[in-house]
Amino acid sequence: MITENLGLAHQLARRFLHRGEPLDDLVQVASVALVKSVDRFDESRGVDFAAFATRTIIGELKRHFRDKGWAVRASRRVQELYLELGHATSTLVQQLGRSPTVAELAQATGSSEEAVLEAIEAGQGYRAASIDAAENEDDPLSARMGERDAHFDSVEDRALLAPVLDMLPPRERSILRMRFVQGLTQSEIAVTIGVSQMHVSRLLAASLEQLRQHIGQESPE
Amino acid sequence: MIGEPEAVGTETLGDGDRVVLTFPARGDLVVLARLVASAISARVGFDIEELEDLRLAVGELCLLALQGSDARHGDLQLEFTISGEALDISCTLGGAAPQSGSRDEDRNAADELSEQILYALVDEHGREQEDGSVRAWLRKRRKGPLA
Repeated sequence: MITENLGLAHQLARRFLHRGEPLDDLVQVASVALVKSVDRFDESRGVDFAAFATRTIIGELKRHFRDKGWAVRASRRVQELYLELGHATSTLVQQLGRSPTVAELAQATGSSEEAVLEAIEAGQGYRAASIDAAENEDDPLSARMGERDAHFDSVEDRALLAPVLDMLPPRERSILRMRFVQGLTQSEIAVTIGVSQMHVSRLLAASLEQLRQHIGQESPE
Repeated sequence: MIGEPEAVGTETLGDGDRVVLTFPARGDLVVLARLVASAISARVGFDIEELEDLRLAVGELCLLALQGSDARHGDLQLEFTISGEALDISCTLGGAAPQSGSRDEDRNAADELSEQILYALVDEHGREQEDGSVRAWLRKRRKGPLA
């Protein structure tokens, strides 16, 4: 009975891959659970053995992750990958002269594309402040990750931009035009004007803050 | 060092909300279903273990809907419905004709495995076939009330 169902144990173990545990360990947990299933199986109950074993094996696999504090580690792993993506993005932008694709980030960090997407998504859920706090103040992670110009991307905001652009120095004005009028990414702007994407991010943030304050002063209550 | 994360943006979907995702019925795109399932699970307040169960279950749901049909020209439509006590997910394969002939043993075994996995991960599940569409569904209740 055990030999016949080893394939089942293997298949179920594979369903739990990508959670940071090696397949061999998972197969071992599943195989031990299979042996337990045989011991506990009561034919007189009229239940199919494979169905009974599947439940037991999945239960044991879940317990395995629970016992190892997986939920805590999973959350930390996502944060770590998010941080790693920041470094990888920066490196790849330098190497490629453009923003990397998800596939390139996955390759650079040794993760699956799905894991990268998840980390990016989950990363939005953590306040940038807590990430920046752990970093060098002159080189905040959010500046490197920063392809988004938060709170200034709505149509309404952009409509307000045009009349106040003139108050900025020519270089900053030109960067804002490239970003919001021509639609270039921060990386593309960086290549065009010969500075790092990080620097573009900082200049944009400072200019936008300046404009935001100006618009705020001009705006009626 | 990473600062303690502040969980934000959770529980932003609540009773009566519905999310629909449609994509070409291809195995390599099931990743879309899993990603949406985890985003929704997080937003209705499931914990990370329940979220992982749902990711796994949604993959099996898609497999169940895909098996037994010629899905080359079909679409998979996933519908996530949030109610006060549970998250309901249904997966419908539309526009694909059921494959003619008897289903082979391998496919039956695969179906069976998916069903057994769903049995272990969610509270209720099922599959129906009507008018050329295959619909597989599941219900996962939360330990506490939903947001």
